[in-house]
Amino acid sequence: MALLQISEPGESSAPHQRRLAAGIDLGTTNSLVASVRSGEAICLPDERGRSLLPSVVHYDGNQVLVGHEARSLQAVDPLNTIASVKRLMGRGQEDVKRLANVVPHEFVATEASTVPRIRTAGGDFSAVEISGEILKILAQRAAHSLGGDLEGVVITVPAYFDDAQRQATRDAARFAGLNLFRLLNEPTAAAVAYGLDQDADGLIAVYDLGGGTFDISILRLNKGVFEVLATGGDSSLGGDDMDHALGEWIIEQAGFSDIDAVLARKILIAARNAKEQLSNGDSALISIDHAQPWQAEIGRAQFSDLIEPLVRKTLSACRRALRDAGIDKQEIAEVVMVGGSTRVPLVQTMVGDFFGRKPMCELDPDQVVALGAAIQADILAGNKPDSDMLLLDVLPLSLGIETMGGLCEKIIERNTAIPVARAQEFTTFKDGQTAMSIHVVQGERELVSDCRSLARFDLRGFPPMVAGAARIRVTYQVDADGLMSVTAEETTSGVAADIVVKPSYGLTDTEIETMLRASMEHAREDIEARMLKEQQVEARRVLEAVDAALLQDGEALLNESELTAIQLKRSELEKGLESASADELKQLIKSVEQVSETYVARRMNASVKQALAGKQIDEVDV
Amino acid sequence: MQSPELSQDYFELFGLNPVFDIDPTSLHAAQQRLQANHHPDRYVGSSEQDKRLSVQIASRVNQAYETLRDPVKRSRYLLEINGATLPDDSATTADTEFLMEQIELREAVEACRQGEDALARSEAIETRLKQRATELAQEFVERFDGGRFDEAIEASRKMQFVQRIQQQLDELQFELEDF
Repeated sequence: MALLQISEPGESSAPHQRRLAAGIDLGTTNSLVASVRSGEAICLPDERGRSLLPSVVHYDGNQVLVGHEARSLQAVDPLNTIASVKRLMGRGQEDVKRLANVVPHEFVATEASTVPRIRTAGGDFSAVEISGEILKILAQRAAHSLGGDLEGVVITVPAYFDDAQRQATRDAARFAGLNLFRLLNEPTAAAVAYGLDQDADGLIAVYDLGGGTFDISILRLNKGVFEVLATGGDSSLGGDDMDHALGEWIIEQAGFSDIDAVLARKILIAARNAKEQLSNGDSALISIDHAQPWQAEIGRAQFSDLIEPLVRKTLSACRRALRDAGIDKQEIAEVVMVGGSTRVPLVQTMVGDFFGRKPMCELDPDQVVALGAAIQADILAGNKPDSDMLLLDVLPLSLGIETMGGLCEKIIERNTAIPVARAQEFTTFKDGQTAMSIHVVQGERELVSDCRSLARFDLRGFPPMVAGAARIRVTYQVDADGLMSVTAEETTSGVAADIVVKPSYGLTDTEIETMLRASMEHAREDIEARMLKEQQVEARRVLEAVDAALLQDGEALLNESELTAIQLKRSELEKGLESASADELKQLIKSVEQVSETYVARRMNASVKQALAGKQIDEVDV
Repeated sequence: MQSPELSQDYFELFGLNPVFDIDPTSLHAAQQRLQANHHPDRYVGSSEQDKRLSVQIASRVNQAYETLRDPVKRSRYLLEINGATLPDDSATTADTEFLMEQIELREAVEACRQGEDALARSEAIETRLKQRATELAQEFVERFDGGRFDEAIEASRKMQFVQRIQQQLDELQFELEDF
C-alpha cells in the first residue's frame, strides 16, 4: 500500500474487484456524468436517454427540481429557479451585487456568514447547496446505471478557478455526500479524453470556452504524463456573455424599456436560441412574445460583429499562457476545442487563425470534459493498476500575503507545479506576543485590494517570549486539487499554533456541518453512522498498510523494541475495529501512525532511492 | 514529520551532482520519475497518513525542481548548501560600471514603448541580455569552483539583475504583440 509499497501504485486490496467511479462535469449551463465501462468512457444518460442535465435548480417549497423540469420553469418562475449557479461559486456579497443586472434573484446576507444565499420559496440557499443538488442527481444517475454506490468521483473545475471557487466545489461534493477523489482541471480532462498521450509526445493547447468561463491550458505530453506548463483565462467570460451581447442588441433594436425579470429571461432565451441556430445556419429569426411583441432576423456576420471583442479577449489570454509556458505558438502540435461555445463558427475561425492550424473538435465539446474525468476517476479508483497516466497540474493564480501598506507579497507564483509548499519565517514585535494574523490573497496585482481575498488565518498559542525572539514558521501548502492550507509552528519551542480560518468567501466547517445536518432526515444517526464507516475503512487501510510493510522489511528496518511497539498498537487497533466508536477509532489510528512515524520515514527514504535507481536500470535496458 | 528523505538536498533528491551546469533533460526526467511514484494521485485509496506524506514528498519534489530549473535560484541554492551566507534580496552590488549598464538597459527597455520598430529594438536588447546572462553564469562557475564564495555571490546577484530586466522585457514584448 501506498508509501509502504511504492512499486505498486494504485494497487488495491482486492485487485480484481472493480470499484465504481464516475467523472462529473459540473458546468455553468449543463452538467454531465460519465464512467468507464468495458474499457471505454461513456456519458451516462438519464432514463429518457439524455446525457446533458441542465444546471438549473428549482425550489418551490415542497420539492427540489433539477435539470430539464427546472429549466422549463425558468421563464414562468425565474425567482425560484436558479441557473448558472457556477458563476456564484466562491463569490461573496460584493460580487453578487455586481451581478444584480444579470441574475434576477434576491440575495440574502447574514451576519454569521460571508456566503450570500438566494431567497426562494423553499428557503435560502448558498451556491454550494444548489450545486450539491445537481451533484446528487448525477451521482444517483451513475449509481443506478452502474448498479451500486460510487466509491468516489472526480469533479472538473475550470483551470482558472481560484481557491475559493475550488473550496466551494469541494464543499458541494461534501454536501452531496460524495467521496471526492480529485478536482480536475477541465482542459486537462479534455486532453485526457482525446487520448493524446497514445499517439504523440508534444505540446498541445486546450481552448475551453464554456457557458460562463474561459480557460486556456498549455500542456506537454510525454509517455502518459500530462504536464500542464501554463494555464490562464477568465473565470467570468463565456457563452452567456454572447447571449448578453445579443440580448442588448435585441433590447436596443426592439426599443424595450421597463424590463422585468420575466422579459429579461425571455430575451436571454431568445438570444441563446438565435446563437445556437447561427452555429449552423447563416441567419436566425428572433421573436419575443411580450405585451409589445417583436420579431427580427439577424445574420451570422452581424452576430459575429457583436461577439468579436469577446473572442479577441480569449486570444489575449492564449498569448499570455504561451508566454508563461515560454513557448511560441508555432510549437503547438494540436489545439483541442472544449465547451459548447466553441461551436460558434467565429470562435473556430479566430482560434484556427491564431494558432495557424485547424483545431480538433472530433469529440462532442459538451461531453469531452466529463469523459476525461471518468478516465481519471477509473484510474484513481485503482481499476487500472498498470496505467502510466499521470496528470501534473499547476497553480492558476499566484498566492500572496498582505504586508505593510496593503501590498501583496507573492508566496507562490502562478503556474508553479502542484502540490507545492512554501515556508516563511516571522518573528514577534511585542514582548509576550502569543498570536498573529495572516491575510492570504490570490492574484497577480501589487495591491491587496486588487487581488482576491482568500482567508484570514489567526495563529494563536505561541509561548510568550521577548520581542523578536520567537521564530514562527508559517507553511503554505497547496494540494493536488489546488486547495490551500496553512500551518504554523514556533520553531525554537516546537509549539504548533492553533489556527482559526476565516474564509473570505467560503463556508466555515460549522456551516457545512449545519448544512449537512439540515439536509438529512435522520440527521444525527446518519452522520454518525457515516463517520463510523469512514473510520472503519480508514482503520482497515492502516492495518493493511502496516501488515504489508512489516512483512516486506519490518525486520530489516526496525529493532526489536520498535517492532514490538508497532505490533502492540496495531493489535489494539484491530481489536477496536468492530467495537470502537468513530472517535475511539480515530485515536487508535493516530496511535498507530505516531508509533510508526520513524519507520515510515525510513521506508520513504528507501523508496525515493528506489524510484531513481529503478529507472536507471530501465534506461540501460532501452 | 521530518524524515531523512525530506532533509536530503535537492541535487541528491534528483540524483544529480551538486554543480551549476546541470542537464535540464535529466532534471526534468528525474522530477517526472519521482512524481510518477509519489504524486498524491497514486495514493487516493491509501491511509490518511500516506496521503499526507505523498503530498509532502510531491511538494518537495516540485519545489526542488523549481529551484534547480532556474539559474539564479540554482546559483543561490548551491551557495546556500555550501555554507555561504547569502545577503537578502534587497542587497545591491558595488560594481558601478555594472550598475550603469543595468540602468542603461532598463531605460532602453522602457524606450521601446515609444517610436518605430519597437519589436525589433526589443529583440536587439534581448540578444544583449542573453549574452550577458551566459557570461555571468560562466563567471559564477569559475568563482564557485574556485571556492571564492563572496565573489560567486556577487556574480549570482548580477545574474538576478539581468533576469529581472529580462522579465521586464518579456512583459513589454507581450504588450507590444497584444492587440
